[in-house]
Amino acid sequence: MSFLMDNTEKARYLLLGNEAIARGALEAGVNVASGYPGTPSSEIIESLSKIAKDANIYVEWSTNEKVAMEVAAAASFAGLRSMCVMKQNGVNVGSDFLLHLAGSGTRGGMVIVPCEDPGALSSVNEGESRYFAKLFEIPLLEPGDFQEVKDMTKWAFELSEKINNFVMLRSVTRFSHASGNVTYGDIIKRDINAQFKYDGFILDPMEGLPISAPVEYKHSEQQKKLKQAAEIFEKSPFNTYTGVKKPELLVITSSACNLYCKEAIQLLGAEDKVGLLKLGTTWPLPQGLLKTHLSETKKVLIVEEVLPFMEENIKVVALEMAGEIGNKIFYGKNDNTLPKVGELNPDIVTQALSKILNLKYEQRSDEYIKKAQNIVLTKAPHRELTFCPGCPHRSSYWSIHNALKLDGRKGFVCGDIGCYSLAFLPCGFSTLKTLHSMGSGTGLASGFGKLKQFGFAQSVLAVCGDSTFFHTAMPALVNAVHHKSDFTLIILDNSGTAMTGFQPHPGLKSNAMGEEVPSIDIAKICVAMGAKVRVQDPFDLENTQKQLLDLMEYKEGVKVMILRQICALSPEKKAKKKYEMSIDENKCIGENCGCNRLCTRIFRCPGLEWDAKANVARIDDVICRGCGVCADICPGKAINKKEAA
Amino acid sequence: MGFLGPNELTENVIQKNLCIGCGACMNLCPYFRSYRCKTAMLFPCTVSEGRCASFCPKIEVDLDYLSKQYFGNLFGASSLGHNISIMISQKGKKIKNHTFQAGGTVSALISFALKKKYISSAILTDREGLLPIPRIITKDEDVFKCASTKYAAAPTLSALNTAIGKGHSQIGVVGTPCQTTAIAQMRTTQSTNKDPVGMVIGLFCTWALDYTQLEPFISQQIETNKILKFDILPPPAEIMEIYTTDGKKHEISLDKIRKFIPATCSYCADMTSEFSDISVGVLEGYPDKNTLIIRSEKGKMLVDEAEKEGYIIVDEIPEKSLEHLKTAARQKRKRALLKAKEDGLLNATEDGKFSCIKLNSLSIEKITA
Amino acid sequence: MSSMKISKDPYNIIITGVGGQGNVLASRILANMFVENNFFVTIGESFGASQRGGSVMSHLRISKESCYSPQIPKGLADIIVSLEPIEAIRVLLDYGNSDIKVLSNSRPVRPPGVIAGDMNYPSLDEIKISLKELSSDVWIIDATEKAVEMGNPILGNIIMLGALAGVSDLPLYKDDFQKVMSRNISSDKIDINLQAYDLGSDMVNQ
Repeated sequence: MSFLMDNTEKARYLLLGNEAIARGALEAGVNVASGYPGTPSSEIIESLSKIAKDANIYVEWSTNEKVAMEVAAAASFAGLRSMCVMKQNGVNVGSDFLLHLAGSGTRGGMVIVPCEDPGALSSVNEGESRYFAKLFEIPLLEPGDFQEVKDMTKWAFELSEKINNFVMLRSVTRFSHASGNVTYGDIIKRDINAQFKYDGFILDPMEGLPISAPVEYKHSEQQKKLKQAAEIFEKSPFNTYTGVKKPELLVITSSACNLYCKEAIQLLGAEDKVGLLKLGTTWPLPQGLLKTHLSETKKVLIVEEVLPFMEENIKVVALEMAGEIGNKIFYGKNDNTLPKVGELNPDIVTQALSKILNLKYEQRSDEYIKKAQNIVLTKAPHRELTFCPGCPHRSSYWSIHNALKLDGRKGFVCGDIGCYSLAFLPCGFSTLKTLHSMGSGTGLASGFGKLKQFGFAQSVLAVCGDSTFFHTAMPALVNAVHHKSDFTLIILDNSGTAMTGFQPHPGLKSNAMGEEVPSIDIAKICVAMGAKVRVQDPFDLENTQKQLLDLMEYKEGVKVMILRQICALSPEKKAKKKYEMSIDENKCIGENCGCNRLCTRIFRCPGLEWDAKANVARIDDVICRGCGVCADICPGKAINKKEAA
Repeated sequence: MGFLGPNELTENVIQKNLCIGCGACMNLCPYFRSYRCKTAMLFPCTVSEGRCASFCPKIEVDLDYLSKQYFGNLFGASSLGHNISIMISQKGKKIKNHTFQAGGTVSALISFALKKKYISSAILTDREGLLPIPRIITKDEDVFKCASTKYAAAPTLSALNTAIGKGHSQIGVVGTPCQTTAIAQMRTTQSTNKDPVGMVIGLFCTWALDYTQLEPFISQQIETNKILKFDILPPPAEIMEIYTTDGKKHEISLDKIRKFIPATCSYCADMTSEFSDISVGVLEGYPDKNTLIIRSEKGKMLVDEAEKEGYIIVDEIPEKSLEHLKTAARQKRKRALLKAKEDGLLNATEDGKFSCIKLNSLSIEKITA
Repeated sequence: MSSMKISKDPYNIIITGVGGQGNVLASRILANMFVENNFFVTIGESFGASQRGGSVMSHLRISKESCYSPQIPKGLADIIVSLEPIEAIRVLLDYGNSDIKVLSNSRPVRPPGVIAGDMNYPSLDEIKISLKELSSDVWIIDATEKAVEMGNPILGNIIMLGALAGVSDLPLYKDDFQKVMSRNISSDKIDINLQAYDLGSDMVNQ
């Protein structure tokens, strides 16, 4: 039985933050969990998938976050408890639905869990979803340590049912992908009988119609629910205060910053000077609680990441009660005490506190730091990001890059989100020239492909992955075909959602729970749309390049080339090498005219190494995955591939 | 030769629009390629000295050096280049009828050379629609599909490099003046033990055309896969004729075509492919005959043998035609050297500047007088 | 054994290496050994791009008192356990201090730039000197070599854990290691792991 389902009283485990969220949902008796893979959120659905059968939960990797939210909402309307999980910008994808859901209200407890990535450790943005809670006028919860991650997830369902609306629980990388001690609570047993009731009085929240109209009426009901939450928040045990009654400085914080603040105060020995108010309920703000603490101090520092969400909301509250509590001096992001970009850490908070309180803090001598800087510069060569050995993207981009060079019309590739996003770097021969959100590569290409009347004469390509195709590229492709936009979409189909941990998607035959399900054929969809479609193995460099150049010759309409080759990290591929590779040193041209180290300098697969002493390239057998592609690029025909036994 | 490598080639030839797309730098390595007659560099190459720049006919071509290597004298004496004899010719009885540009001399000589195994393969230029396609021909009967002038500048030498890479030797090449100059560069800078080129037949050329501009223009009016042959009538007629397989003859005014002449052609002083064994061109006024210039002993031997066995017919060249040819060649030389001088591409001496042409000042004076 | 003490509270350990070496596995095993003895443990990690050749780091905070942040404050690491030698150097820049201890595997995993011939990888001697300049004690052991001899390179991580037990004053005991492993691997694999753990301790006690 999985450790997640251990029902021993007060069992203690070291859990990943995401596992704690899964456990919290389990304890709340969650019935349906949906989401779309996105770092740092993916382990929540993965953990629940593993116990789905035993715990009788329906777990789904939906096509995109909007659909995932709709799936969770349906469960809620049927009286079940549901949870929807995504990375920070997943909320953006589903925001239209959430706007309307907040108006219609929910029934069974529903919790949206965005796992954010301040500092963009695994993202191309450090966007925030907290503002959406304010925009949609629904409650926002932010756990401040690992135990709270679990406890607040569990409680969120209860809160949601009390107010008949969904609740947002915000996690961050430093909780989701970190581990800490968690003591288990009881797993609630609930009687469930899924039924969508709609025959009652039309405006009845539980038996009427879950719709956001009539808008003004529903909107004011929504605001009443929020007020209800605010009252509950005044007494919430998730808002805690540590420190003296009248601190010199009041620090208000939330989320992982709580742990940074605690540590910073300790490092400075400032326990008698600083009071720490940790808010777990950050929208709506518990105004009474704030009033109590604001009255006891003159200086306030607000510590959060990334944007000054709490800071600006608290300032409004403080201004409104200024007559009663007096004016305050606020420190935070707007006055540059804390940086406005990137994630926080104990040092940044320590520095902020030491500046405000005029306390000295030096953990290391400048001399040590200088010495370390010099040494790292020369003795710790940088690790560039690259595709895995045997990755089909390296081969795909090789062909795409060369086709663009041969085509000679200043062509470019609009990029999209996945492992293949890395191609704006040398590992992908710097082929990508734009990178935004899921599906946007195809959308941008659709736009570029209509600019001929303004003199635009460049070749337009776009890339997207197989999972990205289903997520949001499809509507953009329909748009392009319908409007006769001239570009070529290259779908890099490696049979999985690779960057986030190889989750399944509708193009595959199995789902989150490992069941066999019908797969949806990408090529057939593109043909049905009316695009010109070719399918090719990217490891066959010659034909891929030729086919691509042929497609690019069609000056009208959308062309789709599907480059299909399984990811090097997929369980199937990892097991076996297709070829044993070796190099004939006598044939290796190396640094001389005619080669100039093409394989190691440009192709740069980590399985190929340059032996500077012997002046030849070598295969690293441990790293090489045996895809055989390098044999085809060697101008000296020095690389041999032999079929592995 | 000095350090000439891919860097110099890119900066001083390709980026300065001096590249004619002859193919001399292509297929030697993974970096330079031609696609639809456009020169592309796939990735940056960091060697300081490379064959690509050494073979290029548009950078640091020392005409005196080449003349010395080929013929043992300085460049410049005759406007038609060093030669043993100048005649007129046409295909002989042994050659079947085909759509030849004029007399069919080149096809006759090359197919003969292949048949007699004087050469083991020939680098020729075929055509699909308007697109020239370099070919490695090993069978004499395959020579004829490559007959007739292409006009679009073609990367023919890329096929030569491929053939050499595959180990071919005793290769025959038919090329334009820039191409035969490149071959001369290749043979005089490579310190190879064996010269893989066995026979060079050069063509006459006043200018070439840029395929990337020519194609869209022509294809608007004519179905390019139906084109049988092109011809540019001699002055004063300003017409290009295009014959199609449906028996039609299309006429296009030359002033519409001239804008497709690559700028780099204006720096070319060679009208008759001076660095070859044999040079062949039209004979104005005689549509089914060629002007034939024999330059080397090897070339003479080939022509003599071919005539003996009935593959070509030769005759004396009329005096007027010879004078006419010399004048045209002289004028091209003069124009090219003057333009090169004006644009700093003749004997450039400043640091970091590269010439197209290097030539002794006496010859320059004589030619540009 | 619940009266385990640590010489410093919180005790800060960094386990570092290259993505795919087993950093996460090693940090979990180590963390659970402390959890066995009722310590608060926080592990801070960042994955995602780690599979694609990047450097990875796990920060372990061990405390009797409370839960600490998943990020160690700059300059406050107490010991570095590095599965790859230059990663140890890299970590010292932000988290090292003159009292820190460094335990490193000797086997290089060369960055793509080095493999491609564009950069140089320092010699083991240069690495030793660099580490010694920025720390108080350095141990470098051939963990991967020994692991390969034992039949599986992943055992290198276990050897490093055993070595950590040998060089530090942390309350790390073999029976806790055995308890933790028994929960996560099949019984037929326990023996070889115990051997690896012992070997690690032996290698640093020479």
